[in-house]
Amino acid sequence: MMEFKDLDPILHSQLRLAVMSLLISVKEAEFTFIKEKTNSTAGNLSVQINKLKEAGYIEVIKQFKDNYPQTTCKITQTGIRAFEEYVKNLQSYLGVSKKS
Amino acid sequence: MQNEQEFSKEEGFAIIQSMINKVRNRYSEDGHLYLLWGWVVLACSVAQFILMHYFHYSRGYMVWWACWLAFIYQTVYFYKVRGRKSVRTYTDEIIKYVWIVFLINIILGGIVLGIKMGETQHNFINVFYLISYAVPIFLCGIIIRFRPLIIGGICCWLLSVMSLFISEEYQVLMISAAMIFAWIIPGYLLKKRFKKSTE
Repeated sequence: MMEFKDLDPILHSQLRLAVMSLLISVKEAEFTFIKEKTNSTAGNLSVQINKLKEAGYIEVIKQFKDNYPQTTCKITQTGIRAFEEYVKNLQSYLGVSKKS
Repeated sequence: MQNEQEFSKEEGFAIIQSMINKVRNRYSEDGHLYLLWGWVVLACSVAQFILMHYFHYSRGYMVWWACWLAFIYQTVYFYKVRGRKSVRTYTDEIIKYVWIVFLINIILGGIVLGIKMGETQHNFINVFYLISYAVPIFLCGIIIRFRPLIIGGICCWLLSVMSLFISEEYQVLMISAAMIFAWIIPGYLLKKRFKKSTE
């Protein structure tokens, strides 16, 4: 019998999952880029990015470029492993629901 | 995009897929540097040919010093424009190293040929450059899946073989032809594709 694991609550949220899916495909991305691609508000995105950072899934680099603050996000090894695990669990759920 | 709202497993997959596609379908290469180097090297090679062939000026190779101006422009461009890019993909990273390897190879190759062969290096330097040009152009074409660059790379290899059968004086025109096929034409096509993707 197939054993189901609970989906990671950090990743099982629309915006956080979208951010992680973006960051898994690139080396690094600026806050403005993530905001544009996820169609989110700056406030909400900022809160969710902090949650991902606290979980150790992403690295947030804050710096100044041409006198403007710039926030860059990068996925960590822990984040990659968590994302892969999440996708694997999703697949196992969907695989069973398709069979039944 | 909502956050804590409940969503199904299927929707989870749809989010992942749509985000990955948003990055994958992005064209970050605007062809600007291909056009810069294409036109600079084309102008230098044609100028060298005219100076040596029509004016019998033995130091026609001096025109290549103009490349330093292009190099300075490129450095400023990288710092000012490319530094402002809001996302860096793994493709950008691989392409960066392809060009770094190319640069090291042509500088070291030029020095080694100069030391080992002295004056006779002029017989081989253009062939060596043509073979070297093919590598980054062909690889970039494969990496960004852009056929004109792949064809441009193959043209460089063909021109390198052709230049073995022509006199040294005319070999420099093979460099001009390489610039047209491998830098300028793909450069304009990249520019067109980039413009279309940002519309």
